[in-house]
Amino acid sequence: MSRAVGIDLGTTNSLVAYVKDGVPVVIRDRSGDGLVPSIVSVAEDGTIHVGREAQRRLLTDAQRTVYSVKRFMGKGAEEVRGEARHLPFRISGEAGGAGGSGGVVRIGLGDREFTPPEISALILRELKHRAEAFFAAQGDIDPDVDRAVITVPAYFNDAQRTATRDAGRIAGLEVLRIINEPTAASLAYGLDKRHTGLIAVYDLGGGTFDISVLRVEDGVFQVLSTNGDTYLGGDDIDVLLMDRVLADMTPVASGFSRTPEAVQAIRKAVIQAKWDLSERDDTEIRVGEYRKRITRAEFEALIQPIVDRTLGPCRQALADAGLAASQIDEVVLVGGSTRIPLVRRAVAELFGRAPHSELNPDEVVALGAAVQADILITGNREMLLLDVTPLSLGIETMGGVMSKIIMRNSTIPATGSEMFTTGVDNQTAVDIHVLQGERELVGDNRSLARFKLRGIPPMPAGMPRVQVQFQIDANGILSVSARELRTEVEQTIEVKPSYGLTDEEVERMLLDSFEHAEADFEARLLIEARNEAETVIQATEKSLRASDFAEIDKAELAPGEREKIESVLSGLKLVLNATDRETIQKWTKALNDATQHLAEVMMNRSVSAALSGKNVNEV
Amino acid sequence: MSSPTLQVCRECGGGAPVDAHFCPQCSKILTLGRHGDYFAFLGLPRKLGIDAEDLEQRFRGLSRKFHPDYFYNAAPAERRASLERSSYLNDAYRTLKQPITRIEYLLQVEGLAPKNPQEASRQVPPALLEEVFALNEELDEIRDLRSGGAPAEAWKSRLERARRPIEAKRVEHEAQLEELSARWDALVESGAGERDRRAALEALRDRFLERNYITNLLAGIERELNAAL
Repeated sequence: MSRAVGIDLGTTNSLVAYVKDGVPVVIRDRSGDGLVPSIVSVAEDGTIHVGREAQRRLLTDAQRTVYSVKRFMGKGAEEVRGEARHLPFRISGEAGGAGGSGGVVRIGLGDREFTPPEISALILRELKHRAEAFFAAQGDIDPDVDRAVITVPAYFNDAQRTATRDAGRIAGLEVLRIINEPTAASLAYGLDKRHTGLIAVYDLGGGTFDISVLRVEDGVFQVLSTNGDTYLGGDDIDVLLMDRVLADMTPVASGFSRTPEAVQAIRKAVIQAKWDLSERDDTEIRVGEYRKRITRAEFEALIQPIVDRTLGPCRQALADAGLAASQIDEVVLVGGSTRIPLVRRAVAELFGRAPHSELNPDEVVALGAAVQADILITGNREMLLLDVTPLSLGIETMGGVMSKIIMRNSTIPATGSEMFTTGVDNQTAVDIHVLQGERELVGDNRSLARFKLRGIPPMPAGMPRVQVQFQIDANGILSVSARELRTEVEQTIEVKPSYGLTDEEVERMLLDSFEHAEADFEARLLIEARNEAETVIQATEKSLRASDFAEIDKAELAPGEREKIESVLSGLKLVLNATDRETIQKWTKALNDATQHLAEVMMNRSVSAALSGKNVNEV
Repeated sequence: MSSPTLQVCRECGGGAPVDAHFCPQCSKILTLGRHGDYFAFLGLPRKLGIDAEDLEQRFRGLSRKFHPDYFYNAAPAERRASLERSSYLNDAYRTLKQPITRIEYLLQVEGLAPKNPQEASRQVPPALLEEVFALNEELDEIRDLRSGGAPAEAWKSRLERARRPIEAKRVEHEAQLEELSARWDALVESGAGERDRRAALEALRDRFLERNYITNLLAGIERELNAAL
């Protein structure tokens, strides 16, 4: 039986763990290192390095190396422009959001471009290989690792969760479940002692901050509320320190040139200083010849605003749970940044008690993920996680206002439904814009997707009663279905994610192709053939639906030409799902040929229509 | 109109009581097709007095019975049934946990919910006409003061004063809602007739709509206060 593991896919480091005899264990390399730096580097010759080696290459080949990719998961290019300041790699991508669709960040390394899920998939594959090597070394008959629970920040929105799940699929993993990092941590903490009571998990990592309030009873870990900031963490502290060093250095004109590698050398030095200051009262930032003494007091003054930014979400989470800070029985710290003494003091002060940190804050999330993987594959019913959705879900209504359908902090899985009708007689389609967030206006919330509801039976305006059902599953991921209640007709829904990959794109990215190149090659050709067929089908159907088609049919098409197109079209649709690539290609070509004349006619008409709208001089 | 009392197991075709979660014959999880209401789903009588700890225990117990985590390896139909039942359970728990949403839900299942809730919350309830009229006059004057450049303290204390009678109404209404809730529960327990039940529900609905209206008024005053900051 192949293995299932738990994976903490972190901003800075990632880990993999599994359950051995009922106890979760982190899988380490031969030197005992459990952390895989979440860094990917593509060498000149195309070799891909992940982890420590990629980390070393930040100092020698920075422009071909990417770190903190988690910050770009599920984001559009325009959202991350500000972040690009100190990054060695290129960032680009088409715009997403309200207007467009599919806006995904692209990361340029050398002459190749990757999406964030692809980079994350490379990290996941490294963890998969590490675990497989470990299981093989201990003599497993089937050391394959093909299933995993992957953790995400509790405050991740739908797009970010979906991007993480896509990364797992691209890495060739069956993603058993996406679970929230603070909840996973609480699960790991709940193991050694029989906890009962109210627990707050404060999770400050490399790039994200989460606070979750849980009630633990009878082995049920029930999240009451969660809050956070997916753009707040150790990386922000590093940037503050780097800015200070860069400002300090330049006037010296010490021959320092700001190459990407030099900036990375500074980043490495300030991170070392940050670590030192958790142990000592002062330290020295050293980059080449440059030396700068920094005291803990100076450091704390510098990062105070960042620590303060975590307190608002904590208070909100408590308010949402209907609790006062003093009612919390235990506080658990998670994430490397909680080693900073100022962070510990702030948390202790807010909750009026010393926080727990018996477990390694870097490892506790992966341990919890392994426990959850074990629950899912063995059906072990000792413990149960009940998590919540961090952000309200809603739709755009009249006047650009968001109408909420599922409120934040609802236990998942959760459903909500909304009735729609038509505004025009015989209208058969309705547009729906799905949003996530707490603000009143559409533009202030996160656009998740646009749906077109099709196939509404023609009726007078206002007559159809279309019930749209929103389902958030146990991964915190949304799906939508719709039904017209008078006729009981199920509607089809076309999803256009505002930020994210389509299923076809994910299919194309599968890393498996690196490993099982040949089998994949044929599969890929088949997918491509289907995609091509679908494109032609859609184009044809669009032409047939065009408002002037009847006119064209009468005036320009040969007798029987339309019938021919229609019969080839339905033929291609019939073979579309066949596994025989050549048949699909044959029918695609036939449809292409059959519609060639029609396409020419339509093209000519649109050109002359465009010209007739202008006067001669303009042409 | 009588509610259905039986559902059919899609697995074995056997019959099951409408509020059973698992088939008594084949013990498979039942598809959430025909079912009762949130109260019945949780095994509770249709009463408004709910013991918080008892509700929590029922919620945890049922979660343990059909959470999707425990059906990961099950057949697709069972997985779907587990997702549906868990979602419904979570919705039921969330609705019944708060006294106000509980009342709203009861009115809905008893067929007394306003057809158009937004419309209903905009209309001034007759019992509040006097207060609302006075408040609106006061608000107009305060706005005039403000645009006339009066110091914040002057009109703010007036706004605070204008809020007080509304706040008092709110407290009064919460108490009345509690009283009416208890009356409804007593009627359910004694098996009272349709006429008495209906009257109790109608009183409950009127107080409920008034209370919503008051909440909106208070939120409006709050916005006025904050807008000035």
